[in-house]
Amino acid sequence: MKRRIKLSVVLINVAMWALALVWILPLYGLTLVSLMPYRVVVTEGWLRIPDLSVVTIKNYVDVLTSPLYDVGTGLRNSFIVATLSTIIPVVAAALAAYVFANYDFTLKSMLFTVLLFVMMIPQQLCVVPLFFLFNRLGIYNTFTGIILLHSAWGIAWSTFFLRNYFRFLPRSIIDAARVDNASDFAIFRRIVLPLSKPALITTSVMQFTWVWNDLFYAIVFLVSKDLQVVTQKVIMLKGEFVVDWGLLSAGAILSMLPPLIIYALFNKYFIQGVAGWGVRR
Amino acid sequence: MSFLELVNITKRFGKTVAVDSISLSVDKGEFIVLLGPSGCGKTTTLRIIAGLELPDSGKVIMEGRDITYLEPGERDVGMVFQDYALYPHMTVFENIAFPLDVNRRRLGLSKKDIEERVASVAKMLGLEELLDRKVTQLSGGQQQRVALARALVKEPKIWLMDEPLSNLDALLRVQVRAELKKLQMNLGITTVYVTHDQVEALTLADRIAVMNRGRVVQVGTPREIYENPSHVFVATFVGSPPMNMVECRALPDRIECPGFTIRVPEGVKVLRGETKVYLGIRPEHIEVFDKPVAGAVEGRLFLKGRPWAQSSSSTYSWATRCSELGLLGS
Repeated sequence: MKRRIKLSVVLINVAMWALALVWILPLYGLTLVSLMPYRVVVTEGWLRIPDLSVVTIKNYVDVLTSPLYDVGTGLRNSFIVATLSTIIPVVAAALAAYVFANYDFTLKSMLFTVLLFVMMIPQQLCVVPLFFLFNRLGIYNTFTGIILLHSAWGIAWSTFFLRNYFRFLPRSIIDAARVDNASDFAIFRRIVLPLSKPALITTSVMQFTWVWNDLFYAIVFLVSKDLQVVTQKVIMLKGEFVVDWGLLSAGAILSMLPPLIIYALFNKYFIQGVAGWGVRR
Repeated sequence: MSFLELVNITKRFGKTVAVDSISLSVDKGEFIVLLGPSGCGKTTTLRIIAGLELPDSGKVIMEGRDITYLEPGERDVGMVFQDYALYPHMTVFENIAFPLDVNRRRLGLSKKDIEERVASVAKMLGLEELLDRKVTQLSGGQQQRVALARALVKEPKIWLMDEPLSNLDALLRVQVRAELKKLQMNLGITTVYVTHDQVEALTLADRIAVMNRGRVVQVGTPREIYENPSHVFVATFVGSPPMNMVECRALPDRIECPGFTIRVPEGVKVLRGETKVYLGIRPEHIEVFDKPVAGAVEGRLFLKGRPWAQSSSSTYSWATRCSELGLLGS
């Protein structure tokens, strides 16, 4: 027997697919343009079925090899900055979140409020005082400076995120470990961390992506050519008088690739981490 | 001297008093059950013994030593939780070995020692075949035994159990209950066991402490609790169906109850001229006669919904031996 399909289901599906199409369109265009020679892009436009005979990877080769654009250095720098700016805050935040989730102490709620407040401050607001501070400390235009900066922002929201996840861990598990005379650090390392793998991975992926995609702080705090990160390098691909759309698109895709790959690799954990403890049991 | 002693323990959560100046002593090797309805403070009391909660006032004394403010890990207790609290990312072996493993240096244990001790506990509880499994792959009964094994492996001075059988299905519960009692008796390990299930309490305990509203109402052997409840709460909470309660007036020579009067039982003194008392009688102690009998109480038996019970208000008599009558202060 055939199942009847409700009209509402059809409508919802149509709407969803339409929305998905709108979402995917820019990415589709970007990919297409990155694979076309300049001449074709300018003369024929980008939104169409690709003509396979003109497809080329010349744009990618140019972006990666030309010393003029220096995107390779940018990728390397981004990798260093984003990796360290992920490890440092996630480790620190996990420790802080454990305490927030499991202990009562004086000023706990006030500290937590401060944390939430830090999360809500627009980054642009702090940039001038930070500029002067970094100059004084001698960490302006250094990796140390920008890594510390990203870590500081990261700690706030990661602590918030991880604490919420840690609170979902059954309380009795931690009680049991305490009765078994496990030290706090042992409970943290051997019980809380392994059980929170999805949350830790989610936090890391989000923080890594955030730092990788950052342009604002990079522009302000990294000026030397050899320290600049990939987002800065991509801008440089846009010439002063002409825009080579193919070249720019190829650069953009290259700069997007690492977060995409990381997301694809950890997708399974990412969904668990966002959904919380409930899904696992 | 008793093995474990609670002295005037009080614990508040905000404005609610969870535990209200409880005193209790437990002998070595004794199986004591804290019995009471939910919210009566029995779990809090257990957690205070474990050190997971600190009392607002009062002392916990074990073997003559004040342990009130010791960390849970320093008390040498083994605890079984209602949800078992197994570490879901570890195997059965790792779970049982955990208490030894985290204290390896302090206890001076080698890897081989740990393996041996886990193996012997696993054998005792029939878990040898399951040691390499993840605990999440086990059935409820198996998980329960892993929890028991983990609480046993470090050879604690005292076993604390918080409704350990409540997540098992009815049949398994009866079986595990028997095993648990046997195990406790063989090991001679002092046990404090929390439950709201009176059958569990009556079958397992050497002594029961009945709790209500944060207080210990009565402490006694299961027989004492059942046959000589000292309080209306105990009488009605323990026993299924509960004890019948009648409010009466006690006079120096007799007790006047609604509809009948009886002699004051031997050995009972009515202090003031007239006292309000409760007369309690267990259903199984009521005998029904169809003609008047000396010493019996006359009454009517209403039979409903049966065709032969048309004369439903005919006169019957109850009779009971005086010794089964319990008189309770109000």
